[in-house]
Amino acid sequence: MDYTKQIQEIAAKLFAEDKIDAFVGYRMTGFDKNQVPAIITGADDVSKLVFNDKSVFNLSNYLKHEHTRNKRVGLVVKGCDSRSLNLLLTESQVKREKLYVVGIACDGVVDDEGKKMQNCVECMFPDAVVADEMVGNHGRSGSETLIQTGSETLIQTGSETPIYKINADVLDLGSKDLVQRREYFEEVFENCIRCNACRHSCPLCYCAKCCIDQETSTLYNGANTTSSAFHALMTWSLHLAGRCVDCRNCEKACPSHLPLHLLHKQNEQVIYENFQEHLAGVHEGDRGAFYKYSMKDPDDFIM
Amino acid sequence: METVTNQLVSIEKPEIVAPPNWEPVIMGILCNWCSYAGSDLTGTSRIQYPPNIRIIRVPCSSRVDPWFLIKSLQTTADGVLVSGCHPGDCHYISGNYYARRRFLVTKKLLNFIGYHENRIQFSWVSAAEGPKFAKVVAKVTEDIKKLGPLHLYKKENFEK
Amino acid sequence: MARVGVFVCFCGANIADYVDVPQVVEEAKRIRDVRFAIDYKYMCSDPGQQQIRDAIAQHRLTSIVVAACSPRMHEKTFRKALSDAGMNPYLLEVANIREHSSWVHQKDKKAATEKACDLIRMAVAKSIANEQLHEISVPVTKRALVIGGGIAGIQAALDIADARIPVVLVEKSPSIGGKMAQLDETFPTLDCSQCILTPKMVDVASHPYIELIPYAEVLELQGFVGNYKVKIKKKASYVNFKTCTGCGACWQKCPVKVPNEYNMGIDKRKAIYTPFPQAVPNKPVIDAEHCTMLLKGKCGICAKVCLPGAIDYKMEDEIIEREIGAVVVATGYDMWDPKPYEEYGVGRFKDIITSLEFERMVSANGPTNGLPLRPSDGKVPKNVVFIKCIGSRDEAKGIEYCSKICCMYTTKHTILLHHKVHDSHAYVFYMDIRAAGKGYEEFVKKAQVDTGATYLRGRVSKIYKKGDKLMVRGEDAQIGQVVEVEADLVVLATAVIAPKDNPDLARLLGISYDKYGYLSEAHPKLRPVETAKAGIFLAGCTQAPKDIPETVAQASACAAKVCGLFAGDTMKKDPMVSTINNEYCSGCQNCVTVCPYGAIVTDEVPMGHGSKELRTVAKINEGVCQGCGSCVAICRSMAINLAGFTDPQLINEIVSI
Repeated sequence: MDYTKQIQEIAAKLFAEDKIDAFVGYRMTGFDKNQVPAIITGADDVSKLVFNDKSVFNLSNYLKHEHTRNKRVGLVVKGCDSRSLNLLLTESQVKREKLYVVGIACDGVVDDEGKKMQNCVECMFPDAVVADEMVGNHGRSGSETLIQTGSETLIQTGSETPIYKINADVLDLGSKDLVQRREYFEEVFENCIRCNACRHSCPLCYCAKCCIDQETSTLYNGANTTSSAFHALMTWSLHLAGRCVDCRNCEKACPSHLPLHLLHKQNEQVIYENFQEHLAGVHEGDRGAFYKYSMKDPDDFIM
Repeated sequence: METVTNQLVSIEKPEIVAPPNWEPVIMGILCNWCSYAGSDLTGTSRIQYPPNIRIIRVPCSSRVDPWFLIKSLQTTADGVLVSGCHPGDCHYISGNYYARRRFLVTKKLLNFIGYHENRIQFSWVSAAEGPKFAKVVAKVTEDIKKLGPLHLYKKENFEK
Repeated sequence: MARVGVFVCFCGANIADYVDVPQVVEEAKRIRDVRFAIDYKYMCSDPGQQQIRDAIAQHRLTSIVVAACSPRMHEKTFRKALSDAGMNPYLLEVANIREHSSWVHQKDKKAATEKACDLIRMAVAKSIANEQLHEISVPVTKRALVIGGGIAGIQAALDIADARIPVVLVEKSPSIGGKMAQLDETFPTLDCSQCILTPKMVDVASHPYIELIPYAEVLELQGFVGNYKVKIKKKASYVNFKTCTGCGACWQKCPVKVPNEYNMGIDKRKAIYTPFPQAVPNKPVIDAEHCTMLLKGKCGICAKVCLPGAIDYKMEDEIIEREIGAVVVATGYDMWDPKPYEEYGVGRFKDIITSLEFERMVSANGPTNGLPLRPSDGKVPKNVVFIKCIGSRDEAKGIEYCSKICCMYTTKHTILLHHKVHDSHAYVFYMDIRAAGKGYEEFVKKAQVDTGATYLRGRVSKIYKKGDKLMVRGEDAQIGQVVEVEADLVVLATAVIAPKDNPDLARLLGISYDKYGYLSEAHPKLRPVETAKAGIFLAGCTQAPKDIPETVAQASACAAKVCGLFAGDTMKKDPMVSTINNEYCSGCQNCVTVCPYGAIVTDEVPMGHGSKELRTVAKINEGVCQGCGSCVAICRSMAINLAGFTDPQLINEIVSI
């Protein structure tokens, strides 16, 4: 998967037609073979843009950035990125008319060792669900592609509906007993250094002031303790329940390499299996699972 | 108001044996219109139940943020009971439906990270169900007693 | 620094017998921030409250904890005590040590005492985070909307207007009067319905405080108690009511004939019509579905004969907006269609009619000049069979409930039949005779004697035709035999059902309705005229079937409620509502979706101090907010808090023990 040429062409065209003020894409770090997000503000820098299977970051995170806020922005989104973009649109954080979205029909990205990322292996919506223009098209069977062009929505449905795959790690850990799970997460919380990188890297953590930072947050025991990490991570994962799109920006950002996806995927699974909800951000206007209800929600766990 | 810092998340390890005469603390968060009224009825009917529960009044079960539960388990309580109006009876039309979703996810998440699912329990108790409230409290208390103390370091031990 | 006072009540022996109160007081004194603690026999008594008042002054207390019975019992009492002492009443917390401790742990005094101490600790912790709150004053628009111009709506409108409060009365049909205007005489006094109703209708039309909007529907209701905005669609009548004199030349000349709804379709009206001679307003309207001028552009006779030139074929629906403070819903009822009774031959046999059709026939201004006639051949019937509970109390075909009025109106019908056709004989098939009401049982007894009607207890199983007669076969349960009656006419006492538009109306108004479509009252016993939504009241059969006196009583009760609501210039409201901290709000608007009352709207505020750039934040309408806290729990940035149940208050409670 290498769409470098196409993306450079699109960006050059958009700048030439004066449709955008900035273009958010990927560039090489310059010192190794990894990529970093790039915010390009002029046609001169277009040649720096790249896109291949090392383009791991979710760029919708940069829509809350100073350089892009309230500007006309061109943006590259993969399947997962487009879902978080959808949620940002639904939650009124981004104006659609200010965006030019370049959707990628994604084949999955790779980790540092060149292995396909786990979330890409399990991905249900590899094609961007919001796009003004699609790059690549694999009409992959078993996937549903929604291309949104302005106000129109084109729905291409694959031969079969995508099947939800339970995360392998969640499944693995879930099969262990309670004490083992407790010990496992005890380690996780102990290793958290409360740097909040996970929060900063998450496209859906856009709050004006995070609850963890507020003055009333004596609640959160601001200090770096196991207890506060437990509380902060639990609250964070519940705030993302029904909203997390599994882009794993948080895990890439975590200096302690905590398996944060476990919390999110666990919540996602519970929500998907119990509430008959779509996965987060697949449809525009579809808010997270906690902001709606159904009479048919499970009731048997309540006395 | 002092805050509890540097408190370790306790470990539910099998070797932690309940000290003699240990009594669990259960935090009961009840909605004002159904369950709190129901618990009042339990009182006026003089139905007896175990004294371990400490009751907090909230207007509606939808007011209960999941982190109240997390906070309770983290600081003072060995178990939590949240109770609201039966589905369809919510004084505020739909509050308990929103709450129900959050409760299920919270319960499963806490279970996933190693808290026994009986640590947080939920019930629907109407204003007329005084006997049911007593039964629910008795059951929750019994469940928590079986599980043993949640906290390695309870606040009072810690401060002394 | 908080200075908390703790007041522990003995409640006679209720608390003191099972909780060691002096020890609780000693424990309370040890709690940080508690400056004063005392016990008393009855804290709610006047000397008890005096202790609180004195202590507030003496010890400069900043919040009060009363450990006594449930806050649902005496919270208001103690709040008042605080207010009397010049302290904000919302600085009070009640520790419920009676219902939650002494009464439920009677066998374990030690545990009960310990629990009482914990409950006080929690209340103290919460009270420290209590803020001074003030009752919210909401301005009131002193104008009422009455939906429906039947007897319920008329009575409510008149009573409210007599209190010099403006009323907007909206009626769906061209004239007010409703079902009562179709009745001939009323039970149990046999007053002429028209004679008692029409003066009231005229009063409505001429009342300076009533704005009558006939031929109109409510489209939209926005706002909250005291401050509603209503949109009313006034359907095009194609007649300018201002210039129309009501002379009637138009409908006399109109060539189009349409079944007359007022007379249950027994005779015809014209395409331009007034529903009945005593209609208020007495102005005709054009039925757009049947007028050939409006449909095909041919005819125009009414315009030609109208001397004042009041006919306007180009008239369009008009949207009227009014600001109102309260709503009375009085949309009345419908009659059940007996079609499912196939075994009776409903629809096949012309001589089976419904009771309202019978009512129209025997009515003096009815289509048959007051004589009951067989629809098949126009002959005067001799043997008339009345069958009660058609649809009522019938889960299989109709509805489960008793329609309440059928027993009485059928009795009335037997009398009317006897009056109009002296040599007739009435047979009444009934399940029970339910005559609970002032003078009702006497009325039934007297009617049975006077008319000599045959009452047969049992259900009719079949009706079939024999010659030009109808054979009614049923069971007489009292003798346990099948009986057959030869009838000239069969009258079905059909059930009262909720108007079919009620669910739509309920959704539009934001109130609830039951499985039958009747609008739901706030409490079946103690709040029978209010709905769960403040400022919306129910009168008449729209809530449940009822007779005229009950309807009128409920309508007057509504009027009293409306007048009470409008008694002051502002309304007082509990201050336990949500508040938004703009600084923290990121404008995701999830709270807007979650709020069950639509109390949250969006607002634009500057991006930063002095910034021209705007950002969207949520805004709470205090008047609408009921204080459930749904929005608080879902707000991720904790920008919303619920006064009286803030996060710091509740967390304090959690961590205090």
